[in-house]
Amino acid sequence: MSSTRRPKSRSLRRTAVAATSAALAGVLLAACGSGGGSGSGTTGSGPVHIKVWAWYPQFKQVVAEFNKTHKDVQVDWVQAGVGQDEYTKLKTALKAGQGAPDVVMLEFQELPTIQLTKGLLDMGKYGANADKGNYVDWAWKQSSDGDHVYAIPVDGGPMAMMYRADLFKKYDLKVPTTWAEYKEEAAKLHKADPNAYMTDFGSDETAAGWRQGLTWQAGSRPYTYSASKLPDIGVKLNDDNAKKVYEYWGDLVKNKLVDTQSYATTDFYNGLSTGKYATYIAAGWGPGYLSSVAKKTAGKWRVAPLPQWTAGGNAQGDWGGSSFAVTSQTQHPKEATEVARELFGTSEAAWKIGIDQAYLFPLVKPILNGAYFGDKKYDFFGGQQINKVFVPAANGIGTFDWSPFQDFAYNTDTGEVGKALQGQTAWSSVNDNVQDQVSSYASKQGFKVSK
Amino acid sequence: MSLLRQQGPATAAPPSTVRTKGLRSPVTGAGTGRRNGRQSAHTRHQAMGLLLITPFGLLFAAFLVAPLAYAFWLSLRTSTLVGGDHFSWFANYQQTFTDPHFLAGVRRVAVFGLVQIPVMLGLALLGALIIDEVSSRLAKVFRMTLFMPYAVPAVIGALMWGFLYSPTFGPVNSLSHALGTGKVDLLGHSLMLTSLGNIVTWQWTGYNMIVLYAALQGLPREVYEAAKLDGAGQIQTALRIKIPMISSAMVLTLMFTIIGTLQFFTEPRVLEPTASSVITPDYTPNLYAYNLAFQYSEFNYSAAISFSLGAVVFIGSYLFLFAARKRSGLK
Repeated sequence: MSSTRRPKSRSLRRTAVAATSAALAGVLLAACGSGGGSGSGTTGSGPVHIKVWAWYPQFKQVVAEFNKTHKDVQVDWVQAGVGQDEYTKLKTALKAGQGAPDVVMLEFQELPTIQLTKGLLDMGKYGANADKGNYVDWAWKQSSDGDHVYAIPVDGGPMAMMYRADLFKKYDLKVPTTWAEYKEEAAKLHKADPNAYMTDFGSDETAAGWRQGLTWQAGSRPYTYSASKLPDIGVKLNDDNAKKVYEYWGDLVKNKLVDTQSYATTDFYNGLSTGKYATYIAAGWGPGYLSSVAKKTAGKWRVAPLPQWTAGGNAQGDWGGSSFAVTSQTQHPKEATEVARELFGTSEAAWKIGIDQAYLFPLVKPILNGAYFGDKKYDFFGGQQINKVFVPAANGIGTFDWSPFQDFAYNTDTGEVGKALQGQTAWSSVNDNVQDQVSSYASKQGFKVSK
Repeated sequence: MSLLRQQGPATAAPPSTVRTKGLRSPVTGAGTGRRNGRQSAHTRHQAMGLLLITPFGLLFAAFLVAPLAYAFWLSLRTSTLVGGDHFSWFANYQQTFTDPHFLAGVRRVAVFGLVQIPVMLGLALLGALIIDEVSSRLAKVFRMTLFMPYAVPAVIGALMWGFLYSPTFGPVNSLSHALGTGKVDLLGHSLMLTSLGNIVTWQWTGYNMIVLYAALQGLPREVYEAAKLDGAGQIQTALRIKIPMISSAMVLTLMFTIIGTLQFFTEPRVLEPTASSVITPDYTPNLYAYNLAFQYSEFNYSAAISFSLGAVVFIGSYLFLFAARKRSGLK
């Protein structure tokens, strides 16, 4: 299971409940007990202990690797829940003024919100800028603001199309390279088998990041935001590119060429593993997710680049990705920064654990562009070297700003998509409605909004 | 009650007899009465009483009064992402009662309650009347079976129903498929309230039934004999004797249910991930307050919503009890 935290990763919530509840109890106890959050190493000799919240179960080995190679700093890892669960705890701890860990795993879209509420330490003051050249440009820009470094990127989610090679052969479908072709093949498939769909249009909040990734690919840049230029913010969620994407999917939905199941459901996993869906458009972490929820389809999937809006184009989008940030509550800013930078960093040993066992998609260039990752063959994909698709995608992603009210934006988007699905509003007005609500929310929060 | 006493005409009647009930009269009688040797016994009593309620008082202050006071203080401030934090008096409350999200949630919950509460309490009453009438082993089994869902934690119940409602695996859909009625989207916009209502009814009918059944058990049996002698059948006895006599218990269950409904939270929260385009963050007022605080970090506004909801619940139950004062046993 494991490998897959996800953008608003509620998908795993239920399956992970049993596994994490014990850990959660631990968090609460630890939070109550240690007060300041960083535990023992405040005084005296011995290594400084840095408390880390992160959600991959495989983390245990990464931490062991770190502790083995570091003498002055030791990591105490806590599995603090996946995605939103962890953020809820973190936001509460920050509000309460105590109980936050030193280092926390955060998805990129959460960084501006937590930074703005003064929850993050500026690691730039502790030498983190030295890492700048190690990371792909768009990722570094998401976690920093000029010389201020608010997080160190860990993994990303360059998008691609996974497809069932066997079904494509059976129904004589062509692997689409443009969205227009994708639609043609969807119609062909659904006509041949009314129970099969080209894919599932994620209509829920879990998939809000997916929808965002697709508009990202189409060239939409909804926010212009920089923490150093407060209170200015640009909000433009209804430009032509975003509308193009929503109307395209709305059209597929109306013609019943795609299913409209929530991503966070067993029905969705079931669709992936029974051949109900012929493609799965997802991100660099998607292979891990897919191979864990659809084990019995091993060997039948292949990966192809994301279809393009213009033939021969090379536009890419990103869905999800995480980073290590140091919280403002840390008592050991220097050591915590060191942990955030080096837990994975460029360490090949740590990355091998991350790549092989957690399907992490590295954003650190030496690993991303290295031979080990690029040439790795995946049995689940019939031995395909899938990173030959994902790595160019990762390198082709354009920069993108997140808003500091991303949860609100995602929720609003989800609500409006829901209305369109029920036929209460037209697909063409979804983006306008979201734009109205999000920009008025931003004004209420004190931003000077330009549209 | 002390007011009543002071305002009363200066009659010969000792104060303690004027509309005071139960335990209070001897104590107050002793206290306000003769000042003699019994005074010290009284003070000792009082000291003992204070000592005995101290643990409760401390816990009450620490875990109810203090958080409430803090929440109220929060609700009088406004902090925005970039505007900073300032005291804003009742601006948050003003916003609450003009907030379409909050009002839509209240309306949704009201519509939900208008349908779900009568259905559930009707079923509970019917169940209670039946097991009261039939005193066989079967009645015991029946009683246990109906009560069982109450013992299932609400989260587990909602998860279980989430599975039963599933469009692919759910037996409901298999059934409708077999009957040829096509796909029924129990987690879609149009049926979500019904689906939630079903979960709540399943969970709480047995609980309410037990309360009503206990009230029925407390009725004097001679009344039934009298009714029988007068020629009343079982149904007539139920309608004209039993139901009126347990009306105060019915008022009680109704009030608990109304309060529970206004605070509707767990079931929509559990189904939220499965159907997040239907169960929006403002689906019920309580869910809205939760999401405001923990997703959007709007702690101040969330506190104002919670207090407003509390006020609605308080005023609502007070009005209800006032209207039903004859039946409620609280004259």
